[in-house]
Amino acid sequence: MSNLAKRGTVIPSAIPHGPRHDRIWVGTEGVQEFLVIQLGDQRMGLPLASVREILKVAPVTLVPRAPRAVLGILSVRGRITTVIDLRLHLNMPEASDTRSSRILLVHGGEETLGVRVDAVLNVVRLRESEVEPAAIVGSELPEHVMGIGRPFRERMEAANPAARVAKGSFERDADAEVVILLDPTILLRLRK
Amino acid sequence: MKLNRVLVVDDSSAMRAFVRAALESREISGDVIEASSGFEALRLLPRERFDMALVDINMPDIHGLDVIRLIRANEAHKHTPILVISSEASARDREKGLALGADDWLQKPFAPEDLERAVLKVLASPRNLGNPGTGSPGT
Amino acid sequence: MTDDADRIREEFFAESQEIVEALSRDLLLLDHGQKEGRTDPDLVNSVFRGVHTLKGVAGMFGYSELSESSHALEDLLDQVRLGRIALTQTALDVLFEGVEVLQRLLGAARGESHDVDLEGYARRIRNLLNSAVERDSDSLASLDLDPGVLSVLTEYEEHRLRTSVEQNIPLYQLRAKFALATIDTELESLKQQVKSFAEIITYLPSTEPTDDDALELVILCASRRTLAQFRETLSSSAIVVDLVARRAGSVVPSIVPSRPGELFDLPSARGSMFPGAQLAKDADVTPRAIAKTVRVDIEKLDHLMNVVGELGIVKSSVSRIIETLSERPELKPLLAELHRAQRAFERNLASLQEGILDVRMVPLSQTFDRLGRAVRQASRERDKEVRLAVTGADTEVDKLIVEELVDPLLHIIRNAVDHGLETTEARQRIGKPITGTIALNAYQKGNHVVIEIEDDGAGIDPNKVAARALERAILTEDEIADMTVEEIRQLIFLPGFSTAREVTDLSGRGVGMDVVRTNIGRLGGVVDVQSEVGVGTKFTLTLPITLAIVNALVLTVRGQVFAIPLSVVQEALFFDERGVRQVEGREVITLRGESLPIARVAQLFRLDSGHATSMSKPSPNAITPQQARRESTKTRAGSTRGFVVVASLGQRRLGLVVDALEGQRDIITKPLGKSLASVKGISGATDLGDQRVILVLDAPSILNEILAQDGGHHARLPS
Repeated sequence: MSNLAKRGTVIPSAIPHGPRHDRIWVGTEGVQEFLVIQLGDQRMGLPLASVREILKVAPVTLVPRAPRAVLGILSVRGRITTVIDLRLHLNMPEASDTRSSRILLVHGGEETLGVRVDAVLNVVRLRESEVEPAAIVGSELPEHVMGIGRPFRERMEAANPAARVAKGSFERDADAEVVILLDPTILLRLRK
Repeated sequence: MKLNRVLVVDDSSAMRAFVRAALESREISGDVIEASSGFEALRLLPRERFDMALVDINMPDIHGLDVIRLIRANEAHKHTPILVISSEASARDREKGLALGADDWLQKPFAPEDLERAVLKVLASPRNLGNPGTGSPGT
Repeated sequence: MTDDADRIREEFFAESQEIVEALSRDLLLLDHGQKEGRTDPDLVNSVFRGVHTLKGVAGMFGYSELSESSHALEDLLDQVRLGRIALTQTALDVLFEGVEVLQRLLGAARGESHDVDLEGYARRIRNLLNSAVERDSDSLASLDLDPGVLSVLTEYEEHRLRTSVEQNIPLYQLRAKFALATIDTELESLKQQVKSFAEIITYLPSTEPTDDDALELVILCASRRTLAQFRETLSSSAIVVDLVARRAGSVVPSIVPSRPGELFDLPSARGSMFPGAQLAKDADVTPRAIAKTVRVDIEKLDHLMNVVGELGIVKSSVSRIIETLSERPELKPLLAELHRAQRAFERNLASLQEGILDVRMVPLSQTFDRLGRAVRQASRERDKEVRLAVTGADTEVDKLIVEELVDPLLHIIRNAVDHGLETTEARQRIGKPITGTIALNAYQKGNHVVIEIEDDGAGIDPNKVAARALERAILTEDEIADMTVEEIRQLIFLPGFSTAREVTDLSGRGVGMDVVRTNIGRLGGVVDVQSEVGVGTKFTLTLPITLAIVNALVLTVRGQVFAIPLSVVQEALFFDERGVRQVEGREVITLRGESLPIARVAQLFRLDSGHATSMSKPSPNAITPQQARRESTKTRAGSTRGFVVVASLGQRRLGLVVDALEGQRDIITKPLGKSLASVKGISGATDLGDQRVILVLDAPSILNEILAQDGGHHARLPS
């Protein structure tokens, strides 16, 4: 996993007030890393900067009368953290834990929440130009989605090196696996 | 690094923190010392050497303009480049500052890139070129 | 955003909040002064500087609305301090509005929503700015003043100079050499000394060579005192006071250096003014202590508390080991030493804990200042004369509690001004003083803090309350007939009692008395009200001093572990199902002849369903096989099953039905995150160490919930 700890000083820049697409890119100079996770059959991405920690699934304490998506609470080094099931939160069918399930500590505006996902896949670096803003893709996209990312397909293990060169390793591949990029602030703000 | 050490004089702690972060992240200066008032700057003056001073104008007690004068009056920092950082837009104050010995004026609010540009501009000005300073990068 | 960026941003928020609070305090002082016919220019300048700083930093961090609003306010304040706009009550209205706007925008920057009318605010500022009067500004020009002096004075300083000259106030120059190490305190001390009779216009440092550790200053003052008097006041210090000489022939004084002819020329203008250095100040002047404070992030304190908590667990482990070892007689001498060390450890740990808790304490004055603004606003809006009398503002309370207190207090005070206090005419008629008084008092009582809000208004009229209850169909006529006056008054705490139209926008966004009670309850406190028609009303808030460490009772319900602060627990009894009766739609048992409503925690929290968790590992809160055996033994033994924990809350009591009691321990209640704010009945959670997290029950909230379940019957409060 890439180094989530100190990534060097980043100058605080304006709290974005613009449309949600722009918000994520402010202060990043047009490039940003996203943590890609698996949820059901979807791949989703969260800005790496918003993911504070990745934990293995641990027992949580149930909280009665909590919203449905809330699994319970966990103590992370003394801090009481609410853990939600991202599947339930996004109205997907429930599933039980597997060995690859993880809890991400995601910071979204006001609070840091634990978010349980099926698996953590990798980190991709995307340029603003590689992301289709939600506004363009279609207005039926929910608010917490800030865009669709299509990372350039890097054909690292092409069987035929010649073919790799021919195809052009960094050509944007229309079939490149799509990553649904989420806006943590809005995502965590949803009340259910 | 363009500079070894920079002195930041501003009564706002948030401002000082911002400038420090900007200087460090854009690798403008290796070290940053802070003064929260003109008096604090004066206390630092005899003991510390710095290659550049960033001075805020509107401070309580003694004015930034006086701080500029006093830095210039200090033997070791007679030629140290001084950049005024201020939200004052008054042309009069600007003239006074430059007349008293400031090299340039950076208007608040500014982004880290603007700070870098202003610092480079000051360092590149004929007055400061060839000035051995009190410690050049790498020494 | 990385940690560094967050940290810097937090610095901005903390500093800005301090600035806004200082603005609020200063404006209240200005308001007070204005009413008494005097305006302190230094105070106006101070307010100006605060807003100016805020404008600057807000811009730097990208909060444009905050920056622009500050800018507008700064422009206004500049005109006021330059004497172009008079500081009338109307002007003060706009200034107060400005502070409120800045406070809200600052909240918005932290993610809260805001509904500030920026348009209206900008408009009101513009209107005032348009009324600015350009004063005759050539009075100084006509002076025979050296242009060098003018060149170093700021526009504001010039204005103060001009004003003094026009009013024929003599100008003095104070000269002294200060040690740089102590110059801050010494200047502060000097300011305090001369404040009452002189205005300090400017400090002019000299660049004359002195030693590195000293600075010579000439301080220009305006004062109506004579030179002799001035000198008398400062006779004990080494400050030299001189009257600023008048140039021969000129009508007004000008500033002349002690060596006439030694003029000011740029750029060393201010430099060569002081030939002949003065002697260093002697130590006669007692420096006034400038408060040395450190801004502390409350999260850091939380972390320290965690560490202390962990140490507590270590302490227990060591105790257990000592106990085990004490069975070995040959270790006796060593054990004695160990015991001593253990006790010393305990003492120090307790001391550390106390120390950290103490750091979290802040005086209530911060909160009270905000209330001052609200009172002023409300009184202006309602056109009532109101004064706020505050006592005990230095009473300290946990920082987290203070944050939560603002809204409830605002609401109570707003209510008092809007509805409690009669109109000016009405007060006159009945012979009350025209100015209504709201008395705010705070004091510490044992482990609690008591805050009283008392007004000398019309009091809560039970008839009106009853009428309102009827109107809102909360009660029927018969039910009301049955109630005592006291019980009727308590109705104001019922949800739905206040109407939307009563809740004005600045009184806390939709807060009713029921929410006040809930919020205070969530902090572990209670609200009581006393009132007398025609005389006034008094609300009493009783709160624990700190939310931090609390002795709690640990209990289990259907295998899940909970805690409840012992401070609300009166006693615990065996629960006998057979003793449960239904009274007016509620379950009660009899305790020493009286009815005690009960709450079955398992039902309330729906724990019976044994909901399947999708977590593959079992919850550590599940009961162990031994516990299960114990429970089933009990059930077999008789009809005893479970316990009733009797919680006592003010005048009321509630029995919580639980399965088992596990003992007492000290816990640190931590709040649940914002996302779980809607969960009722839980006041937080605590980490028992070794990753076991349990929930802490909110007894007052559960009580209110039970009481609300009236099953269609009236809301009689239990005795």
